Amino acid sequence: MQSSNKLQQTWLVTTWEFMHFFKWKQEVISKLIMIGIALVVLLWQYIKDEQAPHYTIAIHGSDIALSNSDSFTFITAKKPLTQLKVDLVDEEKLNAILSLKVNEQGVSELTVLSKDKQAWLADLQHNLHQQFSLIYADNLGLAPEQLMVLKQPVTFKNHYLDTAIKADDSPAKTTAIGMILLLAVGVFTSFGQLFISVTGEKQQRVTEQLYSRISPQTWIDGKILGQMLHALKAMVTATITASLGYAFATVIISGNPLDFSMIDWTLLPWLLLFAIAGVYLCTAFMAAIAAAIDDPNHSAKTSIMLLPLLPMVISFITMDSASGWALTFLSYFPITSFVAMPVRMSLIELPIWQPILSLALILALCLWIRTAAARLFKMGMTMYGKEPSMKDMLKWTFKES
Amino acid sequence: MELVVSKIQKHYAQVTAIKELSFSVKQGEIFALLGPNGAGKSSLVRMLTGFTQPDSGEITLTLDGEQFSSIPSYTLGYLPEDRGLYPEKSIIKNLIYFAQLNGVEKKIANEQACYWLERFELLDRKDEQLKTLSKGNQQKVQLISAVIHQPKWVILDEPFSGLDPINQEKVVLFLSELKAKGMTVILSAHQMAMVEKLADRMLLMNLGEAVFYGTLSDIQQQANSAIELSAQFSQGIDNEKSEQLLTQFKHRYIDDQSLMITLTAKESMNQLLSTLTSIGELQSLQSKKMDLHQLYLNAIANHGEN
Repeated sequence: MQSSNKLQQTWLVTTWEFMHFFKWKQEVISKLIMIGIALVVLLWQYIKDEQAPHYTIAIHGSDIALSNSDSFTFITAKKPLTQLKVDLVDEEKLNAILSLKVNEQGVSELTVLSKDKQAWLADLQHNLHQQFSLIYADNLGLAPEQLMVLKQPVTFKNHYLDTAIKADDSPAKTTAIGMILLLAVGVFTSFGQLFISVTGEKQQRVTEQLYSRISPQTWIDGKILGQMLHALKAMVTATITASLGYAFATVIISGNPLDFSMIDWTLLPWLLLFAIAGVYLCTAFMAAIAAAIDDPNHSAKTSIMLLPLLPMVISFITMDSASGWALTFLSYFPITSFVAMPVRMSLIELPIWQPILSLALILALCLWIRTAAARLFKMGMTMYGKEPSMKDMLKWTFKES
Repeated sequence: MELVVSKIQKHYAQVTAIKELSFSVKQGEIFALLGPNGAGKSSLVRMLTGFTQPDSGEITLTLDGEQFSSIPSYTLGYLPEDRGLYPEKSIIKNLIYFAQLNGVEKKIANEQACYWLERFELLDRKDEQLKTLSKGNQQKVQLISAVIHQPKWVILDEPFSGLDPINQEKVVLFLSELKAKGMTVILSAHQMAMVEKLADRMLLMNLGEAVFYGTLSDIQQQANSAIELSAQFSQGIDNEKSEQLLTQFKHRYIDDQSLMITLTAKESMNQLLSTLTSIGELQSLQSKKMDLHQLYLNAIANHGEN
């Protein structure tokens, strides 16, 4: 059979696999919900800004003068407390009553009485805390600058003799951690779907019909690529969701300008290459194991499919010593390097040959594992109902019997 | 273009599935594989498709000057014993997908699918999920998926299973049409009446070995060593007496005046005649041609004894 036909068949299996789990209705509904939530937050923020809430606070039992702000007006109440409580019931006149008492240690005890529990009470508490800090500083004869020094007496900066180590606040680290989390999302997505897909086809007795039309290699290639596309889709969706969440939190809620400076854009292409290789590797590994499972309800091999998550855990653990032998070894070992090398790259400056070598080793493993997965599928299928042992599987990955 | 199977053997662990089996399948014929469960039919089919390889012996098929050790996938239509499609997908999507895997363009695949669905009276349900069909109708879709790409060689493992008599007849017509289109059909089945109607030649297997091989008349000739005789008596026969006298002959009672006897080559006709006349006044004794069903039963029984 011509290679173009095999490519065509692989693409057919890939699209069938992808569309098998791609539900248009669900996709449209979930995206509409996301847009809806975003619009609600935006609208709510707009309405909130339009209303420009302002609260009147009556100070009872003290002549202390507090500064007004955009949100709060402080008035010294001359009325008795009972009358103030009546005004409090009618919120248009008064929003809270502030009572002040100084205890034996000279600390002011503030009591705020409001009609019910309100979100703005936290803002009021913050406002009062700042005003009273300044009042006490003034009483002690401290200038506001001196007060600032007292609040933050020291700042820390780490410097290393190894100049390759990047600064702790380097955006590369945030980028790498983000990529590892996204990888976990992708691998988990493939894990569930591959398991259902491969064992499902075996249970539904489709495999022999497929095998009469296409080679095991074409079948497994299509499965891997289809699931890889799903993993990448899940990663892209997670990135968009996280970015939207961050954008709303930064711009709309906190009122700050949009800032993506925590992303190391120069590192990103490398991370993407490692992520794609990593997803391929994990998907191929899981496909190989799933292909050997005959009955998913009674197979002990299911747990082995979770092994690809191990490199992520190990890399997180060894992250603190970026120059150590453990992370260095893991960054070349092709089973773990798709996570370990990006972590190292994010923490220390590396010569370019190191990630290239690491990537080449992963690609070599990817090529081998796709062949091994196809062999496992073929042998698992021709055993007709009998599940191969781990010993058999290991033997087949190296030599087709 | 002839498929030649020569002295193949296949073992699974301690079990011998196929023993020294030889036969050939000619282009354009319907060739039936017969045999009880465990005869080795499915093992043989899997070797013909190339899923497994014989331990010894060889399978050869010459196509366009090129020699193959099994039927190549691009020319094969296969309905396996363990069969299934994607139950959640629509009937038409299933059929088009399998046709496309065989290199058929989507438009042509759709036309072919509609043609065969109409033949099986399923066209109006083409957009329904496969799982909504009855088992028999799903079986028809399976059959269509095996031939939608118009292969030159078709292997159907138990094409009649799960079908009622009416639909079995429809499958007979379906297979005849495949033959008319020039396809070579190898089928394994238990429904002897269907095979008798359809098959040009057949191979009867038991315990991995060939028991009979050839056309139906060849097989009848081969089986001539055992003939079936119908004995008619002028009066009712004494069953107790006849049982005592007929112990060495395989027989069954038709009614109180007649019985059927199977006479093997080892048994004497003279002795049988003398026995029958001792039972009662013999009115007639006729030799009856055994149908495939009877041949099958006798052959398997005798093979087991041997």
